[in-house]
Amino acid sequence: MAETTSQFTALLPNDVLARVERMRLNPLKRKTNHSRGEHLSGKGGTSTEFADYRDYSPGDDVRYVDWNIFARTNHPFLKLYKHEEEMHVMLLVDASQSMQFEGKFDLARQLAAAFGVMGLFNVERVSAYSCSEQSAAPVILPPCTGRASLRRLFSFLEDLPGGGEFPIEAAIEEALKRHRGRGVVVLLSDFLTLGDMTRSFNLLHSAGLEIFAIQILSPTELDPELTGDLRFIDSETHQTLDVSSVGELLGLYHEHREALSNHLASLCRKRQGRFLTVSSEQDIKNVLFDQLLRRGWVR
Amino acid sequence: MSWLPGITTPFAAWFFALLVPLVVFYFLKLRRPRREIPSLALWQSVIEDQRVNSPFQKFKRNLLLLLQVACLCLLVLAAMQPFVRGGAETATYLPVLIDNSASMAATDDKGRSRLDLAKEEVRQIVEHLLSDQRVTLITVSDSAQRLTEFTDNRRILLDALDSIKVDEVPSRPEEGLQLAQALARTFDISTVRFYSDGNLPTRPDGAGKPMAVVDFDLPFDLQFHKLDEPAANIGITALNARKSDENRWDVFVRIEGSAAGQTAAKVQLSANGEPVGSPESVVLEAGQSQRFVFRYDSSDAASLVVRLQPDGTDSLAADNVAYLELPISRPLSVYCPTELVSYRHSLEVLSDIELLPQGEGDPQRAAYDLVISDQASDVELEASTRFFTGLVPEDVQSLVTVEEGLGEVIDWQRDSRLLQHVQFADMEVTDVPMLASGAEEAEFEQLGYEILANGNTGPLILERREGPVLSCFLLFHTDRSTLPYRVGFPVLISNLVSLAREQANLSDVRGASTGVLPPLALKPERDYRITGPGEFATTQSSDVEGILKGVAARAVGTYDVSEGGDVVRQVGASLLNATETSLHGVDEIHFRELTVDATTAPATTDRPLWPWLALGAFAVLLGEWWLYLRRPGGIPA
Repeated sequence: MAETTSQFTALLPNDVLARVERMRLNPLKRKTNHSRGEHLSGKGGTSTEFADYRDYSPGDDVRYVDWNIFARTNHPFLKLYKHEEEMHVMLLVDASQSMQFEGKFDLARQLAAAFGVMGLFNVERVSAYSCSEQSAAPVILPPCTGRASLRRLFSFLEDLPGGGEFPIEAAIEEALKRHRGRGVVVLLSDFLTLGDMTRSFNLLHSAGLEIFAIQILSPTELDPELTGDLRFIDSETHQTLDVSSVGELLGLYHEHREALSNHLASLCRKRQGRFLTVSSEQDIKNVLFDQLLRRGWVR
Repeated sequence: MSWLPGITTPFAAWFFALLVPLVVFYFLKLRRPRREIPSLALWQSVIEDQRVNSPFQKFKRNLLLLLQVACLCLLVLAAMQPFVRGGAETATYLPVLIDNSASMAATDDKGRSRLDLAKEEVRQIVEHLLSDQRVTLITVSDSAQRLTEFTDNRRILLDALDSIKVDEVPSRPEEGLQLAQALARTFDISTVRFYSDGNLPTRPDGAGKPMAVVDFDLPFDLQFHKLDEPAANIGITALNARKSDENRWDVFVRIEGSAAGQTAAKVQLSANGEPVGSPESVVLEAGQSQRFVFRYDSSDAASLVVRLQPDGTDSLAADNVAYLELPISRPLSVYCPTELVSYRHSLEVLSDIELLPQGEGDPQRAAYDLVISDQASDVELEASTRFFTGLVPEDVQSLVTVEEGLGEVIDWQRDSRLLQHVQFADMEVTDVPMLASGAEEAEFEQLGYEILANGNTGPLILERREGPVLSCFLLFHTDRSTLPYRVGFPVLISNLVSLAREQANLSDVRGASTGVLPPLALKPERDYRITGPGEFATTQSSDVEGILKGVAARAVGTYDVSEGGDVVRQVGASLLNATETSLHGVDEIHFRELTVDATTAPATTDRPLWPWLALGAFAVLLGEWWLYLRRPGGIPA
């Protein structure tokens, strides 16, 4: 019998989507909202998972009195249960012109979709932001929750506009102006900016967001094969830079690229965040099911 | 000599002006490839880091420009054609004389001939020729030959150099120097180089040491480059035969060895291809010689060949063979009028003589070996030796007149062949030759006469050699002197006969030397083809007297003279030169006014630098190309 298959979304293959639906984010810190959710908070709550006992105080709900202990000790003790709170998953996709090279933006949207699916299937609040044109307002997917929002998420990511010169650090600040809620922020960018990311990461950290930063670089950025005298043109600002004997500078280029990655990783680590550099030519399966899984970003 | 290199074409320095457009175009960067990249962030930090950390970052940034400037500078310098000055002054026109006489074929222990070494040194000159230098090649043996015009064409010069072969003839450098002197009238020649082994004609100096003397005024600076001494040599330096009996020849062979060391050989005489006797062995210490006498019994003409088979080192092959042509034995035909009784009386007692005329009715022959006469009409008689008494040659009649009187002999050449052992003291003559007023003895010499005896008023005996003919004139008549009554008279007649025999090749025969073949008596005005060793072939005509002369013989060997395909005469030419066989090289050449010392060090020629500069420019170009197109180095470890 012939099996007919149709893709649920152009971003993720069905098999990847099916596996992602069973995965969930694994943040280092419990940064949750007060609203009820599926993440256990440090405080007592009304979940089914036992937490502790305490003395009964007048006015307490007598339904939580442990009658077995009361029968043995003739003293009322109240059973406390863990509080399950909601976690906000903020997806921030860099859609500037620098991401429009060699599949960087495509991989960013795929990863955003995967993290979004994980959030929605685990009853998190998921919101998405995309920055491209500096003059225009960020494209926003308002916080949504539940599987019913899956289609909205996919539509939002599929229709994301690309191009523009919005730097990632400005995009973060712009998104934080509109964002409310603690949780996890997934930054998908090449982080190739002339600005400093320290302030942006500080803002994210102080906003109660654990940073999941993924730097997506193209193969020509990771291992460029350039020779001779060249005039480089910035795809976003259209500024030019004349470089002579490019081949001779490649060693220095690699040192600087690695230094940037190490600097970003250090910024994240100091804020209990995570950082990973991937190539845009890597398969989404490899990134999700190998790198992120092995590093404990998801489970 | 300056250590600074010279420059041949300084005007090429104008090409340095090309540096201006080069730099301008480089900084304009008209054709810099444009490449769009996601962000300049990384590259900007890379450039800033490079500027800060690299001490020569400015140079490195413009490394391509520096390479281009270096390449252009090297090319312009190459175009200026600088050169490193050699030891000798730079000469624009340089005649190079190369000795190619027989001794230049002598080889050393490594088998290299002197000529090969000379060619190698001249090749260095040709290959390092500067653009404004012109060289002409002149070979010098017993004559000089100019091989090329003044040219800087290396192909022509090298071809001419390769074509030089050894002439197996003695060396005579005068002609080459005269040729260079003639060229100096047309070209600005200040220096002439002479490559030779120094084996030149010598004569003993005051201490008996051989000294090369060249009768020549040097109008230029002569650089005499002497080649290395060759190995030891042994060779034949003389070959002649003397008739000892009616049908017997004594063949004399002289073998000499060079001063380089002991030599040994076997000597074999052969006649008409058949060996005569058994080979003789000879061992010579350095510089020694030995004479051999072979006896050959025959009255017929024969071709004798003496061959030397060296036993050990022998650096020159040309002197290992010698040729000698023996004539047919016959009596000497002497014409002497019956009126000259005293002469006929003296002649009759000599053996092997055919005295003519034998009687009154004896017809006159076309030619004689010896004519003795006192008649002016007999001057027309054909003979190889002529002796006239009481006769003044027509061409000297203006210089001397004969008067009656009483005269005596004041002085005479005692070493002359004719006057050997002849005593003229106290002899009186009644015909007194008188030297014309104002006439000098030098005028006789200018006319070709040699004065053998002088009287108190003028010359008494004259001798003149015209080609193969020897003429002697006694300006007084012997019948009017006391000479016939003296012991010296039959001695004089005997000397005359002996001289006539030699002239007619009847008693003494010498081996012909290379250079020019001896005159050959053949049919008059005929074309003869002469073929010789190697591929030598030429056609020449005999003169009205049937004499074929002036045939060049540049190599040792047998020369066939043919007429209509038939060989009519065979002549062998041999080196037979003691100087060439000795291989002795002089260290200095004495000219009229100065002495030129030899140098054995190879001449340091001006070495052009442009090939190295061009090579450097090419290397810089390759470096630039590699730098520009080299692949990325990848991620450093």
